[in-house]
Amino acid sequence: MFDGLFNWFYQFQVSFSFLLLSAIGLAVIFGMMGVINLAHGEFMMLGAYATTFLAVKGVPLALAILIGALAVGVFGAVIEMLVIRRLYGRLLDSVAATWAIGLILSQGMLILTGPSIQGVSSPFGSFSVGAISYSWYRIVLGVVSLLLIAGLYILFMKTEFGLRARATIQNQPIARSLGVDTARMYTLTFALGSALAGLAGGLFAPTATIVPFFGTNYTVEAFVTVIVGGANALVGTPLAAASLGVINAALGTKYGLYIARVGLLLTTIVIIRVLPTGISGLVERWRMRPARQR
Amino acid sequence: MPRRTSWLSAENIAFVIFLIFMIVYPFRTDDFGILNAAYFAALTLLALSLSMIWGKAGILSFGQTAFFGIGGYLYGIYTLNVLGSAQTWVGLAVGMLAGGIVAAILGWFMFYGGVNDVFVGLTTLALTLVLQTFMAQTAGPEWTVGEARLNGYNGMYIPQLSFGEMPLYGRPLYFVYLAILIGVYLLLRWLSSTRWGYGLLALQENRPRTESFGYNVRLMQVQVFALAGVVAALSGVLYASWGGYIDPSSMGLTAAITPVIYVAIGGRRSLTASMISSMILLKLSQLLASSAPEYALVIFGLLALLAVLFVPEGFVVALFNLIDRHLLNRGGGNLPGMTAPVEEVTANG
Amino acid sequence: MDTNGFGQSAVAAKVSRRQLVKTSALTAGAMALASKIDVNYALAQDEGPVKIGWLGDRTGDFSLVGVQKYAAAELAVKELNEKGGILGREVQLVAEDAQSDNRRYQEMARKLLLQDKIDVLHACFTSAGREAIRPIIDQNKAIFFYNNQYEGGVCDNYVFPTGCVPDHQVVPFMPAVMDKFGKRVYTIAADYNFGQLTAAWCKKFVEANGGEVIGEEFIPLDVSQFSTTITNIQNAAPDILIVLLVGIKQSSFYEQKNSAGMQVPMATTVNMGQAYEHKRFPAPALSNMYVTVNFMEELAEGLGTDFPERVRSVAPDLEYVGMECAAEYEGINMYALGAEKAGTTEKDAVRKALESGISFEGPGGTVSIDPATHHTVRNIYMVHADENHNIVLDETFEAVRPDWLSADMGCDLPNKPDNTQYEP
Repeated sequence: MFDGLFNWFYQFQVSFSFLLLSAIGLAVIFGMMGVINLAHGEFMMLGAYATTFLAVKGVPLALAILIGALAVGVFGAVIEMLVIRRLYGRLLDSVAATWAIGLILSQGMLILTGPSIQGVSSPFGSFSVGAISYSWYRIVLGVVSLLLIAGLYILFMKTEFGLRARATIQNQPIARSLGVDTARMYTLTFALGSALAGLAGGLFAPTATIVPFFGTNYTVEAFVTVIVGGANALVGTPLAAASLGVINAALGTKYGLYIARVGLLLTTIVIIRVLPTGISGLVERWRMRPARQR
Repeated sequence: MPRRTSWLSAENIAFVIFLIFMIVYPFRTDDFGILNAAYFAALTLLALSLSMIWGKAGILSFGQTAFFGIGGYLYGIYTLNVLGSAQTWVGLAVGMLAGGIVAAILGWFMFYGGVNDVFVGLTTLALTLVLQTFMAQTAGPEWTVGEARLNGYNGMYIPQLSFGEMPLYGRPLYFVYLAILIGVYLLLRWLSSTRWGYGLLALQENRPRTESFGYNVRLMQVQVFALAGVVAALSGVLYASWGGYIDPSSMGLTAAITPVIYVAIGGRRSLTASMISSMILLKLSQLLASSAPEYALVIFGLLALLAVLFVPEGFVVALFNLIDRHLLNRGGGNLPGMTAPVEEVTANG
Repeated sequence: MDTNGFGQSAVAAKVSRRQLVKTSALTAGAMALASKIDVNYALAQDEGPVKIGWLGDRTGDFSLVGVQKYAAAELAVKELNEKGGILGREVQLVAEDAQSDNRRYQEMARKLLLQDKIDVLHACFTSAGREAIRPIIDQNKAIFFYNNQYEGGVCDNYVFPTGCVPDHQVVPFMPAVMDKFGKRVYTIAADYNFGQLTAAWCKKFVEANGGEVIGEEFIPLDVSQFSTTITNIQNAAPDILIVLLVGIKQSSFYEQKNSAGMQVPMATTVNMGQAYEHKRFPAPALSNMYVTVNFMEELAEGLGTDFPERVRSVAPDLEYVGMECAAEYEGINMYALGAEKAGTTEKDAVRKALESGISFEGPGGTVSIDPATHHTVRNIYMVHADENHNIVLDETFEAVRPDWLSADMGCDLPNKPDNTQYEP
């Protein structure tokens, strides 16, 4: 009984953390800037490469992941200033531009480093519950996702940066007229989203093959989670990751990964129809209702 | 806002030059060149389909390949079950119809459900990925429709469009494909110049306002989406017949995103620009693949990026505008909607 | 023109219907052009260089293997030229990159055949790529060497599948691993033709040897997270896990099962030999993985060949010299022998010469073409990776014959033209 429950919890938290980590960077950029970053997967790939290069050179894994995330964040800021900035208000053009950036990054990495590099092992080993053994690293990923949500909450709700950022999303012209440097806010936001993508890439690096197309492993999951979550990265993305995590873990355990994959995509189509603004739209409406009644 | 325009515009001149080139070309090249150009014509229909909904009605679909695949597969299933060369043309109609019906249902589902803008793109992308994943696992013998074995990732073999006992091949194939491409192009251009077409333009600028003018916005969106579905399915049928083959990767991510890029580079608001740029870029991507395989995708990505950054209306449209302004003394270009900068609706919300 | 294979179960009516579709559709088109093409070929064929067409994945998802195969082609052509070419004519490699894209395979196959007028095509890695160009090959009556491991069953006059098939890899392999570890087998396989068909082969030979398949899971190609699968396998507690995963994404499985602490002997027909997972993943992710191959870099010393060094003389940066690298090299050399024997590069004559039984001393030992099926008789090596990922040779199966197609499916290409892919 306990074994079964634990297994279920484990599968759920694995699905949850992978969906959340894959999506959070994309969600921050989409939610705050309305930009769909199709190079998201390639940003994750950069994080994974940076992390792996450093870890193979002997840098402790945790430090390597952090440096990787930071480096991708800086890279994101540069991309924002060179490209994304010119495309605000041209959503579909920014989609095309980021797709092109992604293509250049993955193919450029292939030219630079060849088809694959030696990876690093997952640390921390395994533990057993009943007859089944589990990976500690997966548990660590779950904990990191929760910490990340908490950290982002503090960043956006309790800091000066968060205040300015939220002001910028809410009404860019008014924020600007109140003295918020909105261009800088956008650069910082894009850098933050990129760094989160790099962080996810670094965290996933020990679990997967390190190849130039590493990012495409997670792109679909990331987009699905953001669609279901809607524009609010703080509320929508965790809730979306949690609900999709339940679906994914349940279908995967019972019917295998094929059904889980189809279930994920079909759920997304239905959610778009029923909740076009995603879970955060639903939460928004629910929060607005008492205000109107008052 | 229809206005009287002279037929002498850069866009029309470009079309005539394009047409002449396409007619002369098969007499100046080898067997490969002919078949290859026919293949480009088939894929360019997909770009036209996208240009119609994205450029003319502001509906961006990342998943037109879903209808492309439905068209190709349905054509194959029909022609494998109902033999005979005349039946291949019925199969063509069946494929187109299937694409149109699925697009109409999906369009109804989305537009009457208030799904718009970037979410339309993501829904269609999800649909095409579901279809790809589904078709990829149909490898076993249980996945057989009558005589037609779907055959999973290895793809399905398909009879070719035929006249009498002769399957289309070489120049006849080319001219049939060219005629279909040009026919669809002219039809779409005519449709966009009707009252209905201008209604589409209006709704892409401002949906609520268009609605208040008495247009049934949702119905029009479903109509144009279904029409684009038919064209995309036709593209799939012609592709499947060309190679005698279709497989699930024709509905995959790469296949889905490529036409979007072609149309964006050429200029989505002009069917002519989309058509010409799709033909040129297909050729370019093939040339790059054989001359610089490692660098092909990098160069292609760079080109797309530069186009989006510095020539946002699209390379070909920019060229049209330049010629119109300086050589033909026409103000700002005759492409409706090009005169004012267009605010795209962002998806905050 | 239906070559998608209804298998042996297909009743006679279906077969004749298939023939009808086939003749009425594609081949007629080829005939219409035949006169014209023949004129061109007659002009092109017995003068100038011999053109070896090569089409594969130098970029994209499958480039890990594609670059090895390209290096093998470069080496084979270089060596042929050093020995004076084919029929005294210079050998020219005309290579195109299909970028791991089936559509590109179709375009480029047509380009190589119709524009470059190649004498032979050596192409493809995935079965999907092969099936994408097979109608084009048949239509143009070309010679197509598919020098690659695959799920078996292609019986086609214009195709020479010289790599390993289940006859080579599964038939001797299953009893050997079951003797070692036990009879309860669990299979995970990529959810497409290769995976499903090879899994069916494994099941057949596990059961034929008194074993039992206690679980089977087919996994979509784009899945890279295997947490639930790993738990499902542990719940079933098999003696052997047959792993038929394919592609870069699915290879993440090994590190994940390792970090979950799952210990079970594994058997495969594709891993390590093609994309050197034992080099790319830190030990011990692939420890106790058994595979049957025609060649692997680590076997070179024992086989007394300097093939890896020679490959690196043309491709110094190559990371690994695997089984498909050797197969590609052998395939091109067998074509050269066939053309020499025929005394011409005229395609029908070369095909007849190849069907007369050509043998080549390749890196993995003697390889000869089986006339009835166009497949090869070759040596197979059963190896495994130890806990440090060193490759240990367990057993050698000499001159394994690909007889299933001819014995059970009645494939006899010289006497009975066909273009079907049969299934077990």
